[in-house]
Amino acid sequence: MSASMKEAHADDESKKALSYSRFYAGKVGVAPKVPVRSLQDFGIWYTPGVAAVSEAIAADPELSFELTGRWNSIAIITDGSRVLGLGKIGPEGALPVMEGKALIYKYLGGVDAFPLPVRAPDEEQMISLVKALEPSFGGINLEDIESPKCFEILDRLRKELKIPVWHDDQQGTAGVSIAGLFNALELTGRKLRGSRIVLFGSGAANLATARLLIEAGADPKDLIMLDSKGILHPERDDIDQLMVKNRWKYELAIKTNGDRVKGGLKEALKGADALIAAAGVGPDLIKKSEIAVMNKRAIAFLLANPVPEMMPQDALKAGAEIVATGRSDFPNQVNNSLLFPAIFRGALDVRARTITDTMVIAAARELARHAKDRGLSKTHILPTMVEWKVYPEVAATVGSQAVKEGHARKRASRNDLLKSATDMIKHSRMTMNALRKSGVILDPPE
Amino acid sequence: MTHQSKSKTNPHGLTPVGTPGIRKAARADSNDIVELIVRLKKLNNEFDPLFGVVPDAKERAKKYVSASFGKGRTLLMVATAGKKVIGVARAEIEERLFYRPSREGHITEMYILPEYRRMQLGEELLQRVTKELRKMGAEIIVADLPVRNEIGVSFYTKRGFRRLTEAFAQMTQ
Repeated sequence: MSASMKEAHADDESKKALSYSRFYAGKVGVAPKVPVRSLQDFGIWYTPGVAAVSEAIAADPELSFELTGRWNSIAIITDGSRVLGLGKIGPEGALPVMEGKALIYKYLGGVDAFPLPVRAPDEEQMISLVKALEPSFGGINLEDIESPKCFEILDRLRKELKIPVWHDDQQGTAGVSIAGLFNALELTGRKLRGSRIVLFGSGAANLATARLLIEAGADPKDLIMLDSKGILHPERDDIDQLMVKNRWKYELAIKTNGDRVKGGLKEALKGADALIAAAGVGPDLIKKSEIAVMNKRAIAFLLANPVPEMMPQDALKAGAEIVATGRSDFPNQVNNSLLFPAIFRGALDVRARTITDTMVIAAARELARHAKDRGLSKTHILPTMVEWKVYPEVAATVGSQAVKEGHARKRASRNDLLKSATDMIKHSRMTMNALRKSGVILDPPE
Repeated sequence: MTHQSKSKTNPHGLTPVGTPGIRKAARADSNDIVELIVRLKKLNNEFDPLFGVVPDAKERAKKYVSASFGKGRTLLMVATAGKKVIGVARAEIEERLFYRPSREGHITEMYILPEYRRMQLGEELLQRVTKELRKMGAEIIVADLPVRNEIGVSFYTKRGFRRLTEAFAQMTQ
């Protein structure tokens, strides 16, 4: 597609989104799972019969995972403080996005996800709100919350809740990024340990990516992180206050950059093997001359949406060998949707209490393996969303990793998990197709 | 006299940074001390705009540090890692005119470089400073720092210090 065609296409999508939203008035709804053969059945589904189920759960709250839909339900929670590229648009403004996410969860993962933007002006309110919701859900997906607020909220909730809490802008983006990076490194004959990796941008995504890379075996000294003020190093003047204001960034500022490289992007990229940019909307944030100083066979991930930090063709011209972006119209899309439906499918199937970093890394390796099975190339380092069989496989990996790590309420073999995840996802797609065929879900008006 | 503590594990997982130690400052440390003091002042500024750092802070710090040597009432100590100076503390003995305890050891500056924190170096430095100030007759130790410097406030609070005086500020029009 040419640039003008792309623009026209985006414009068309915006128009359709508005008119379809008016037509459907909501993308997801609550649908029954049980038959109502006659009104008599309400005596079973509701009072008086239901009291027996309530008593059983009251005696053992863990039974709520067996006798209700809790096990397959997650809440998508946001305060609307950093929505897409739109910024602070508030909880109501975030609702269409969360609905869209819920639709993806259902379609690709068979997960019942409830869009729940909330009015929570500060971290404490957000934390207590989510804690209050815990009894109804098998998991929590935090979304579009500004940094560094999102770190504190995620850390606290991961500690204090007994269901998995996931912040897609951190773990989701980071998980898919490292999956792509694993393959890009392999393709260019590198190992993670010993590769020099530059992380441009120190927001939610890249701080999580750095953490996962270190957990996966990267040497922190070989990572260089940059924020809007340049390269992070322990002697930078503003590092002291980060200790209080953003301790996640502070930790990495101290741990990374073993050579104490100072300066900006060009200094950081000198001799670097890979660049992961999650820094902000391009296309002029990175110059060709900066990519040009990288090592031979350089890897460049340019993840800003809708416009990457630099256009992929420019990165290639400047000498990068493998380029990935966040966009579907370029090769190698680093797309969160490859991971989050499968992560929760797997976590929910074993009634996991948490999603650890090692579970995310296992999922990333599985994702990478799928692309590898189909043959790695410069333009194929990640699977795409149409390869739907990836989802149950990643889900089963996440589930078995949870069992292995002792975070699962329910034990199951990988084979059983693969079967149940496949069934759940198939069922979800079948339901949607059946509803559409029968005219319950209408096609959009022309 | 050089105090050498046992080898520390760096909590950030880095290779050992050299044996840490605490000692009285020598004139040869002046340049390092100046850097650390300017960093401390800038840190205060990060927390509170009413502590805007003057452009010639470094020049002033040089004089300030130079004047701190060889005075019986001023104490200047450094924390080191190997040969590198990575922290500083400066204190003065003051008489409290109307109050008891009367002789005060007044800590005017104390700073440890970020990457050497959480290794108990600050703790050791404070202990050594307290010990020296006691030898100089101090009955009470008072640390002076901007209330918005959360790092400092948390450091002293954790070690049993409490707020003593408050200074209220307001800009003139």
